[in-house]
Amino acid sequence: MAIIAQILAGLGLLFVGLKMMSTHLQQATGRRVRHLLRTATRSPLAGLACGALAGAATQSSNAVAVISGNLVRGGVLGTRDAIPIVAGGNVGTAALVFVAAIDFRLLVLYLVALVGFGFQFKLDRRPALKEWMAVALGLALVLLGLDYIKQGPRGLDVTALAALLDHGIAPWVGFLLGLAAAAVSQSSSTPTILVVGLMQANVLGLDDAIVIVMGANLGSGLSAVLSAGELEGTGRQLCYVHVLVKAVGCLLVGAAFPVAAWLGADPVAALGQLGGGQPSAALSLLFLALQVAGAVPVSLARRTTESIAAALSPPTVEDGASKPRFIHERALGDWATALDLAEQETMRLVKLLPTLLPDLDQQDQGGPAERLALWRGANAIGVAIDQFLADLIARGIPRASLPQALHLQALTETVRTLQDTLHAFTEVVEGFDEVPPLAFNLSESLRTIILSLADATDGDAEDLDLIITLTADRSDLLSRIRRHLAASALGTGEDARQLLLATSLFERGVWLVRRTAVALRAPANEVKPMATAAPGEARKREEADAHRT
Amino acid sequence: MHIEREQVGSDVVLKVAGRLDTPNAKPFEASLMEVVSTTDGGLLVNLAGVDYVSSSGLRALLVAGKAMRSAKRKLTLSSLQPQIREVFDISGFSTLFEIS
Repeated sequence: MAIIAQILAGLGLLFVGLKMMSTHLQQATGRRVRHLLRTATRSPLAGLACGALAGAATQSSNAVAVISGNLVRGGVLGTRDAIPIVAGGNVGTAALVFVAAIDFRLLVLYLVALVGFGFQFKLDRRPALKEWMAVALGLALVLLGLDYIKQGPRGLDVTALAALLDHGIAPWVGFLLGLAAAAVSQSSSTPTILVVGLMQANVLGLDDAIVIVMGANLGSGLSAVLSAGELEGTGRQLCYVHVLVKAVGCLLVGAAFPVAAWLGADPVAALGQLGGGQPSAALSLLFLALQVAGAVPVSLARRTTESIAAALSPPTVEDGASKPRFIHERALGDWATALDLAEQETMRLVKLLPTLLPDLDQQDQGGPAERLALWRGANAIGVAIDQFLADLIARGIPRASLPQALHLQALTETVRTLQDTLHAFTEVVEGFDEVPPLAFNLSESLRTIILSLADATDGDAEDLDLIITLTADRSDLLSRIRRHLAASALGTGEDARQLLLATSLFERGVWLVRRTAVALRAPANEVKPMATAAPGEARKREEADAHRT
Repeated sequence: MHIEREQVGSDVVLKVAGRLDTPNAKPFEASLMEVVSTTDGGLLVNLAGVDYVSSSGLRALLVAGKAMRSAKRKLTLSSLQPQIREVFDISGFSTLFEIS
């Protein structure tokens, strides 16, 4: 019983440690990994190398696939560029398997001591060290878990176990065991590390371990697709790339064994020799070979890979909507062009705002699912513009242009908040079984204002002035509506609460439209500062007079 | 939708009845713009017979309103039913147009 408890404890520590390492490595290196992946478009080999580095840094091929998927959806990378990166991510995860093959007991003890003292001396409270302390703790847990796993089986009666496994594990049983272990742990390296531990305890032989690792390799690819859930389009395409890498690796390495035997060689013995007589080192080499054998052909034939992935998961509305049309990585080299492109992309985002609201007059025009996809897409573009401007400012632009960049950054932030408000408003309106008259009036009014704002991006300053007038303070009216609703809430229940929410979101939306229009109008306002200096009511009257026809 | 046109001195009165929805918005806008382009007086739109207005109907009025403003002419709305008045108040159109 103690042996089982020790192995289970080892597995528990391994799972917690891997999770901690992956999460905190992504937080500590995420920005750098993102930057690394962006520069990986030069050639498939550059992509492979960057992916391998990212895989080693995050110790998760899934994390590399997710980051790449976001970059593809954000238009920073094409799907074809992301294929070698995802493939390379698998190669990078082999690093931990090699670590597991080393006798690291002393290292574990020192590492646990180091981490413990670090926490005792509050090193984890320093911003620069916070994530790395958690990474070190994760690594210590992983290594401690591995040590438990390795030490546990040593207490077993190996002679009796060897007699039990006299004829070894049937290859298909081993393959299925590996497949199931990878599906449970959602990783190919975790079962491989476990097998390394069992080999070091002389419980498993190299020939049995080979089929288990091959099963685990394919299983982790399949689990990536299963865990993708409702993910569609480009995101799912990269999961299929992941499966292809694993399947091709298994196929090529698996085929090498019978071919070598047919040529008169003993492939298992040859692998053992490659590992310098150490079965665990040989298995680590096999794991690496599986990743490389899958990653290289899939990356080199990326046009074919892309076609297969696209056929299995065609691009969605969200994929199309999340691609920026103007900004791109290379434009960052020329700050003037970059600013111009960022402005055009933001204007495009404003023009897309009406697509986030329902047209209650024509209910057959696009359903909630399409609007949700468009909102997610618009959101991704907003994030991409934000990131683009932050990168541009970080690279350094002339002092005179800095206010323009900051102004654009603030405008993008306002538009993004407006996107979210419109989405929340739409969800409330679409939540009614039958849209009440007030919700209809609010929705159609907001749609008119948003359509006018979208039109104003191509218009002149007068159009923006008109929006500013149209979005003048109407808190008295809305307060009156709310009071009326509150008085009737007891009788109508949930609908009244939803209407109250719709009223608040409407008010917020109108205020954000006003802020957007004022920000778009800002350069002209600087020319005639007196116009903006007019306070409160007087200003409102001026606006109303100016536009009353 | 039904539109009646009446000349009162130099001004034009358009009496509108029915729904100002998406299918009717284009012909409504065309009627308004015809008055804008063929006359030079004020325009009064009587909405007493309108019981439904959508964003398309509001936009048609906005287009005509902008054209009249550019020509420094007056566009007035009249006789709005309470539910239509509420749309105009909520959308902010009451601040753009003179309503009698």
